[in-house]
Amino acid sequence: MGSLMGDWPSYDPQNFSQLRPSDRSAKPSKLTPTTYHPTHNRTLPPPNQVITTEARNILLRQIYQKAEEKLRPKRAATDNLAPEHGSKQSRGAIDSDP
Amino acid sequence: MLQVNFVRKFYENLVPTCTLYDIDCPDISFRKFTEDGKYLISFSRNHPELIVCRPSWLSFSCKCKDSDYCALPPKAQRFDSFFTQLYTISLGATNELICKDFFLYLESQEFGLFATSTAHTHDAPISHGAVSGVPSIERITFYLVRLEDGIVLDEKVFCNDFINLAHSMGVFLYDDLLCILSLRYQAIHILQVLDSGHLVDVPEGSSFLSGIKQRLLSYIFRKHWNEEADPTLVQFLDRHHLLIKFGSVDGGVSRSTDQHPSFFAVYNMETTEIITFYQNSAEELYYLFEQFYDHFHVSSRTSLHAKFTSSHSNNIHVLDQLWLSKNKASSFSQLISAADRHRHSTEHPIKFISRRQPNILKFKIKLGPEEGSSDAHAKRISSFLFHPYLPLAMSIQQTFMQPTVVNIHFRR
Repeated sequence: MGSLMGDWPSYDPQNFSQLRPSDRSAKPSKLTPTTYHPTHNRTLPPPNQVITTEARNILLRQIYQKAEEKLRPKRAATDNLAPEHGSKQSRGAIDSDP
Repeated sequence: MLQVNFVRKFYENLVPTCTLYDIDCPDISFRKFTEDGKYLISFSRNHPELIVCRPSWLSFSCKCKDSDYCALPPKAQRFDSFFTQLYTISLGATNELICKDFFLYLESQEFGLFATSTAHTHDAPISHGAVSGVPSIERITFYLVRLEDGIVLDEKVFCNDFINLAHSMGVFLYDDLLCILSLRYQAIHILQVLDSGHLVDVPEGSSFLSGIKQRLLSYIFRKHWNEEADPTLVQFLDRHHLLIKFGSVDGGVSRSTDQHPSFFAVYNMETTEIITFYQNSAEELYYLFEQFYDHFHVSSRTSLHAKFTSSHSNNIHVLDQLWLSKNKASSFSQLISAADRHRHSTEHPIKFISRRQPNILKFKIKLGPEEGSSDAHAKRISSFLFHPYLPLAMSIQQTFMQPTVVNIHFRR
């Protein structure tokens, strides 16, 4: 790969194939980067995932969260039997470990 | 990001090195540099006029080999070597005064908001919806001015009302939204500033606070509070949420909020719900202020330099200073009150130390050459104006019964 990209691996052997190393004595085999491929797909994002910025700023999120926490003990005692839900909501499918 | 921090460290060493005392300048009241450093806002002393200047820089040529030791030319002692007067415009009618410490700046459009008012009337006749005990101002006018050329783009008038104009306290600017608190009618007016320069009402946002007050009083709070509480200050937290301070309305008028108990509420304008409230000395409110200061003070989201302004929420050195102040302040209000007060002059120079390197003196400002003993006892008030990024500062000294002295501190 030469001086430009160092020895960083890639997932596609065709990437960086057009680059020529500045060091002319480099072996031709080094023009093809070392490639790594994932052995599983557990860490792939869901196909319809869209990442956006939270619309509400962090100060207001804190204020709302604290307000909900204050109100929670005032709810009916029967609620204590139900499991507590975290204030964060899950955003997409999370694959569980096998 | 890395580059910005690199530039900031560079600017820490670009400090004023030289003072020009008692420069020859027009007798006008200098108030503020805009945050982008492009304009110096000032007002005429005797007429209701706005005078806007652009900071430039002293330039001169000399024959010396080493320019550091070259004497400054006589023109250095002149105001117009450092500033260019762009224009003077009249604001307000003959019976109106410009409120000299009201100024809001919309950086992306380079618009300035100014205010004029007639005199206060303390025995105002009772009118429908007005709260008693609040003085009335016959006419308050807000002017939106394009600072580049001084054109007045729009005006908004409030009649027989009371809006706290001192230090722009009754008006809060968030991006392009203005939130104006009418203390007399207990109402919040929301205005939007369009790029075209028009000020338009946002009726969905404006509301009469008696409704909010009722909701607040029925929200838990009645168990703990017996005194009358009126809204005294309002600001935006985002485009839909307001932070409202409640207290005695006398406190809102006179700014002496520390003698009166007060509390804060967060109100959602869209859902018309009160989200939460805090008492004045609440640790929780202090915690939010300490951690998220930047979100209490958003002026313009598009301003590049505002994103990098140091505050105690993003800079550990500033946080240290906040902790020192917290120990001295007895209430939240006292802690957050503005630091740009006039100070009594001392004979000693004022030292400026980098927050990042507190043991290193960066520069000193010495106010005025040593005076004779009779002058040393004269009461002198000094105020300072610092350019946001150039190594340029002005100190303005007012001594009783003597002409105002203006000094310029700059880097040669």
